[in-house]
Amino acid sequence: MTYNSLQFILFFAIFLILYLLMPRVRLRQTVILVGNVVFYKLASGFNMLAVLVGTSLVIYVTGRIIEHIYADYETKKEGLNPKEAAALFAGYKKHAKKFLLLAFLVILGILLYVKIGKLLGFKEVGRITGLLKPKRVLIPLGLSYYTFSGIGYLLDIYWKKAKCEHDYFKLLVCMTYFPHIVQGPIGRYDKLMKQFGELPGFSYERVCFGCQRMLWGLFKKMVVADRLALFTGAVFAAPAQFAGFEIFLAALLCTVELYADFSGCMDIVIGAAETMGVTLDENFRRPFFSKSAAEFWRRWHITLGTWFKDYVYMPIAMSPRFMKKAVNIRKKRGNRAGQIFSSAIPLAIVWLLTGLWHGTGADYVAWGCYWGTIIILATILAPDFKKLTERLHINTESFGFQLFRMTRTLLLFAVGRMLTVTGSLTGFAQLVSGLFKEHRVWTLFDGSLDGHGLDYKNFCVAVVGILLIWISDMLGEHMRIRETLAKQPLPLRWFVYYGGIVLVLIFGMYGAAFDASSFVYGGF
Amino acid sequence: MRDKVKQILADNYPEIDFESSNELVDDGILDSLTMVGIISALSMEFGVFLPYEDILPENFNSIDAMVELLEKYV
Repeated sequence: MTYNSLQFILFFAIFLILYLLMPRVRLRQTVILVGNVVFYKLASGFNMLAVLVGTSLVIYVTGRIIEHIYADYETKKEGLNPKEAAALFAGYKKHAKKFLLLAFLVILGILLYVKIGKLLGFKEVGRITGLLKPKRVLIPLGLSYYTFSGIGYLLDIYWKKAKCEHDYFKLLVCMTYFPHIVQGPIGRYDKLMKQFGELPGFSYERVCFGCQRMLWGLFKKMVVADRLALFTGAVFAAPAQFAGFEIFLAALLCTVELYADFSGCMDIVIGAAETMGVTLDENFRRPFFSKSAAEFWRRWHITLGTWFKDYVYMPIAMSPRFMKKAVNIRKKRGNRAGQIFSSAIPLAIVWLLTGLWHGTGADYVAWGCYWGTIIILATILAPDFKKLTERLHINTESFGFQLFRMTRTLLLFAVGRMLTVTGSLTGFAQLVSGLFKEHRVWTLFDGSLDGHGLDYKNFCVAVVGILLIWISDMLGEHMRIRETLAKQPLPLRWFVYYGGIVLVLIFGMYGAAFDASSFVYGGF
Repeated sequence: MRDKVKQILADNYPEIDFESSNELVDDGILDSLTMVGIISALSMEFGVFLPYEDILPENFNSIDAMVELLEKYV
């Protein structure tokens, strides 16, 4: 069951009615947990759920142990000055670290086993007992997402940045929460659990806004992403058969396809959570308006970037050993060298890990290195670029220059996507060599593009869909679209709502041949 | 100490007006890269290494907040 399937829509409708009928918070939590279990069963099976429940138990117990250790510190620090308290805390932290590492060994071990197992081509099994045979791997739904959120939650407790949850039931509801289990967003469990403790009752406006958001997500996914996938899928499945403009167009369209697919899914799940009064973190903020690679990654898959910043980048950059090294470099080689060292090393590690998170193949390692190199070079060379634009008298605030920067960022993203979209570096090499083999611009006019999965009519529908997404993103930069729409006269509002439903029903892509059911980011 | 911190910030990040806001991190004036640079500069000057649990937005939202944090360890 995927978020854009009829099965999910029926499941969600029944779930929402039951949920909204519940008069108390505990009952609403119970309905969510039941909904989570039913969703997980329908989407992947009970065996996978067992792994998730086991992980939640490890996280819960470890959190409580760390909390218990720190409680002892709190009683003993009374009367100490800040320096003495810090020294005392260091000892308790060391003790807590042992339990933290043990928990990481278990939960990260599962993730690593699955990633390595997939890389080595282990056979996928559907039951835990299947793992008793050698070279088998069980891939729980949403493993990468809940593992990351779980690690973040434990680290926050360890760093005393979050309070440990005492109610295991609430943690379990949060970890298995069906809107974010498959593709994120990678939320912070402590913030989410706080919301689960205060689940509000029915609100017409909230349910209405949530359903609107879900509809918009379905439009992006089914009308635009799945339609574009017909063409891009055909090109990237056999890159050697295409050349020049065909590859260029496919590379550009596949960036839009990925955006419509992933952000569409986020709209569906954030909208679903909104109907329940739960606010999930936003994962996209109009990324194609980004003027640099760094800004792009602050607007694209935001929760993954934030996770890496909070739990990898900053802890490395702030570790005493690393900081001492950075300070030494500052002293010996000046501030700029120190700044470069402080940012480049953690960024290199973050991007290598981001690549590995997406996939363990050489293509994703290359993808991580690609983005890491661009962002590190942009950071290092920023002062030089500034001097250059000043020397060339370029008005960096002009519309033309901003447009140039946005186009450059889009092209950088398209090249990055080409690295992984065929599934191998050989495929990427074929795409690059094909790109410059011949231009084939005539394919845009002679109708030959029609033969590659997407006919002329469907191409036009996709273009209109892309335009609508672009307009929505443009408006979204300056205004709150749903709130503005809600203030319009009733006939206009319902024209837009029904129009949206009709558009998805008529122009949505269905059927096995289109493989419209799977989301790109659902496999991580 | 406040004057010294202010001077260090001005020397390292002349393009940022640290007195312009009391929500430097929350307003997006300081990003994580800048924060790392600031902490590194302050560590060098005062000879202290701030533990990661103290690296919170509220401790870097203003010069006064940074001074208060440093005073805990200097």
